[in-house]
Amino acid sequence: MNSLTPELFRASLGQVGSTVLLIAMLAVVMEIALYLLLVRVLKHKYALPIMLLAPAAIGLMLLVVAPILYELRLAFSDMNLYRFKNPNYGIGVGLSNFARIFTEPVLKQVGFFPIFFRTMLWTGIQVVSHVTIGLFLAILLNRPMKLRGLYRTILIIPWAMPQVVAVLAWRGEFSFEYGFLNIMLKNIGLAGVAWKTHPFWNYVAMNLTNIWLGVPFMMVILLGGLQSIPSTYYEAAEIDGANWWGQFRNVTIPMIKPVMTPAIVLGVIWTFNNFNVPYFINQYELETSDILVTALFRAAFEYNRYGFAAAFAFVIFFILLLFSVWYVKVAKIDIGFGQGEQKKKKLPKIAKTAVAATEGRR
Amino acid sequence: MKRILSVLTGVFILLLISSVLFVSCEKKPKEAGPVTFALWTQESESEGGFQYIEALAESYMAAHANVTIDVLQKGTEDLREDFQTASLAGDSPELLWTVSDHAGPFTTADLILPVDDYFDMSKYVESVVANGKTWAVPITAGNHLMLLYNKDLVSKAPVTTDELIAMAKEHTSGDMYGLVYNQTEPFWLAPWLGGFGGKVFAADGVTPTLDTAAMVGTLQFLHDLKFVHKIMPNEADYGMADTLFKEGKAAFLINGDWSLTDYKGVLGDKLGITAIPKVSSTGKWSAPYTSGKYFMISNSVEGEKLDVVVDFIKFATNTENQVELVEKLVRLPGLTSVLNDPIVTGDPVFKDSGAALAKGTPMPTVLEMRANWDAMKPELIAVMSGTKTPEEAAKAMQAAAEAGIAAMK
Amino acid sequence: MQKKQSLYRWFFFRSRGDTPFIRTLIHIILIFACIAALYPALRVLTVSIRPGNRLFSTTLEIIPAGANLEAYRRILFDKDFFLWLWNSLTITVATSLIGVILASTSAYAFSRWRFPGRKSGLIFLLATQMIPAPMLMVPIYIIAAKLGLINTWRGLVIAYSVGAIPFSIWILKGYYDTIPLELEQSAMIDGASRMGAFYRIILPLSTPALAIVFLFNFMMAWNDYLLARIMLQKKDLLTWTLGLRSIQDQFHTQWDMFCAAALMVSIPVMILFFFSSKWLVSGLTLGSVKG
Repeated sequence: MNSLTPELFRASLGQVGSTVLLIAMLAVVMEIALYLLLVRVLKHKYALPIMLLAPAAIGLMLLVVAPILYELRLAFSDMNLYRFKNPNYGIGVGLSNFARIFTEPVLKQVGFFPIFFRTMLWTGIQVVSHVTIGLFLAILLNRPMKLRGLYRTILIIPWAMPQVVAVLAWRGEFSFEYGFLNIMLKNIGLAGVAWKTHPFWNYVAMNLTNIWLGVPFMMVILLGGLQSIPSTYYEAAEIDGANWWGQFRNVTIPMIKPVMTPAIVLGVIWTFNNFNVPYFINQYELETSDILVTALFRAAFEYNRYGFAAAFAFVIFFILLLFSVWYVKVAKIDIGFGQGEQKKKKLPKIAKTAVAATEGRR
Repeated sequence: MKRILSVLTGVFILLLISSVLFVSCEKKPKEAGPVTFALWTQESESEGGFQYIEALAESYMAAHANVTIDVLQKGTEDLREDFQTASLAGDSPELLWTVSDHAGPFTTADLILPVDDYFDMSKYVESVVANGKTWAVPITAGNHLMLLYNKDLVSKAPVTTDELIAMAKEHTSGDMYGLVYNQTEPFWLAPWLGGFGGKVFAADGVTPTLDTAAMVGTLQFLHDLKFVHKIMPNEADYGMADTLFKEGKAAFLINGDWSLTDYKGVLGDKLGITAIPKVSSTGKWSAPYTSGKYFMISNSVEGEKLDVVVDFIKFATNTENQVELVEKLVRLPGLTSVLNDPIVTGDPVFKDSGAALAKGTPMPTVLEMRANWDAMKPELIAVMSGTKTPEEAAKAMQAAAEAGIAAMK
Repeated sequence: MQKKQSLYRWFFFRSRGDTPFIRTLIHIILIFACIAALYPALRVLTVSIRPGNRLFSTTLEIIPAGANLEAYRRILFDKDFFLWLWNSLTITVATSLIGVILASTSAYAFSRWRFPGRKSGLIFLLATQMIPAPMLMVPIYIIAAKLGLINTWRGLVIAYSVGAIPFSIWILKGYYDTIPLELEQSAMIDGASRMGAFYRIILPLSTPALAIVFLFNFMMAWNDYLLARIMLQKKDLLTWTLGLRSIQDQFHTQWDMFCAAALMVSIPVMILFFFSSKWLVSGLTLGSVKG
């Protein structure tokens, strides 16, 4: 057993320290180069934003874009274990991969569309629950009260626990005889539920688990958003005679929207692609509990269908991309607007007076 | 345009700098003498397997100062996936200590080396043979399922299934169960299938034969154990079966040789071991799958490194170390001479376990087996939860297995 | 009506003068929520102190008969638990700092400039989240192997900090958008540079969002298994997620140790959450600027 010796201690600090230094050094070098190039030589209009974005952009190119391009190439190949080292590449191969996704069973017996609809339902249930419960709790916590710190800390536990452990613990609770859910049902005189073997109840089980897991994160994000709302806005709204619903609709929602919208979009994407919960709660590998990403995982890693799985990943990608573009349109996220215009558009008149008041006081 | 150009220049500069920095840091010494190789294993610490391998590597390194062995533990499926990924990048570990079913994918993808040229395979128990070549060196034999019983509850071992059912019924009441086992894994179905005279593949070894009378009979038998004879819990996976047996709430348990040390520790002399009984309706013994653990060598290994790896395998499977393995891990050895040694034949546990092993049949290791396993699992569960009849399930198994095999091609 | 009005007002924002009934109601709701959040975690605790390594038991007690701390002793002293924790901690802290710095500046650019490609840039950031993560592991491994980043933490730190950037930028950009432009302008009129205004006005006002982003980075790196599994293949380098994997088997897991370890790795996170909650809530938010 090699335990934590001083040498390892130093070595690890050295490695991490040198990494941080390295990144800092590279960033400084790059920023100086960009500064000289953009500000001094080109006098570029957007010199500053480019300099601000450059480090992140480079990292993304290397570790996100490049792997995605690799996957794209793989999607146009017939790579599997039989053709592991010398797969065939080609447009035709790729098209047949995509065709197979929609025409053949994705795994054993179930085709693409039933799994797709199941995934949509799952995503819908989850995101709606996370946002409503999360917002409700955040509103309750967004006030001076006794024990607030304690409540907040406890409510965050599902997020703080290692996710796989939490999911496995939940799986234990869905045991027919020993899970507390069934014991409670029996105590109030109902029959136990076959959470693991019955398709419907297994689906319910994975939904329950993920609601438990996902609410704290949404709660924290929305709480952050609520904190940024000055109470002057509410006071102003109240002076204007708005009732609680009016205040909620005209002050709370617009004010936390910039924080809530990205959280919802990302929540949809992550839930759609959630792996741990549907994979581990579905202990008996019921095909009826598979969502697209678990089906994809099985195709890729259990059946080693590399080419097919890569094509499948892009199908998921396009579904989510369509959704995001649509949502951005519908929710009118101001990704195309600067902050100045957005404020005019979003805030009710009363709120603007409040901003002026805020600034006047500074 | 200028902007894009400048960004590209930046990317280029950064990549250049970073690659130079990273590569220069990571260069390893390439002199002739020192040899470093990686050994990945799926043995875990809980059963002592991993510690045993580490000790083995230590003692080899102590005798060969120029050799460094990096032993790394991985989950069984992780090991297979990561080995495939690493091979794709040309960066695979040199040696694996793993289960026999990994040989299927690895030979299909051409990732491991045939071992006939380096070892005298006649000295070992049956190994993984495909296309006329041997692909793995046996370390342990067995991995087979047995019938374990609690001598506090059961006085003598049953020989036929009728006896088993009768004895189990006596011990089923309240929260006590006659028989428990992992009802969720088809690995626990395989012995009975053998007892009903069935096999999962046709004679060619790759065409699934799951929709057969034997399979229907097996599923019906398992279904009846639960619903007609009522000797089993409503739901039981590995952990629950394990708990019930350890708590003394189950008379019989079906589990593998890997678990013997654990139960010996809990039950001591009260642990009874016997072969899974004869199926009364056919008169045939149940045939659990046998496999064991094997060394597999990456086919990227060559030259001096290969000599060292081969030498290490010979060291790890020499008589002395195999005897130590038997003593420490309580598993049957891969070397025939040690398997027939009094240290094995004279020990009561090994005697019973060995007798059960003798009834076994080698587990198929071909790639197609993956589709078979995955096809059987949900249908087995459907039968055991009463949602499908054995006939429907067997039909669905066959269809799913064929679809799975077609998908892998 | 007047009373009702103030009740709602109280419900949706800070309140003084709540009625005792409402206070009690709120506490009851929160206590129920806390129980729901806590109970499964307590069951993990139960398994960790149950004698004889059993996942299941036929009892529902939180403290089982014969409870002991044997599993904790074994994981702490028979395993390299401290090494794993230390490894995870250094990687995670470095990642979170780098991630927050990279994202906070980039998000500022997205929030305050209308440069061409901005809209597609934001959509692109979202798009990077849409490819299921397991699929990217093979190419990331190949790239990392080419760059010599396998078996180094350098590779992991870089990959994690980049991996969290899209989320971080979106959250921070959304938050910056709620901060009135006038605040910066007045600072700049007072003679501050653009970056000076960012540093002195925007960042302090954004502490809740920065805290969320830091936590998110931290949690992602802390709990990651997939990437660490392929990048780290030496015993000395293992993080706790990889270390815990070694006490699991195909069929057989040492549940008591597994659960004990799981609870102990949650402790640093809980401490972090506890202290960060101060930042999440109070501090220099717009609300308190008002005084």
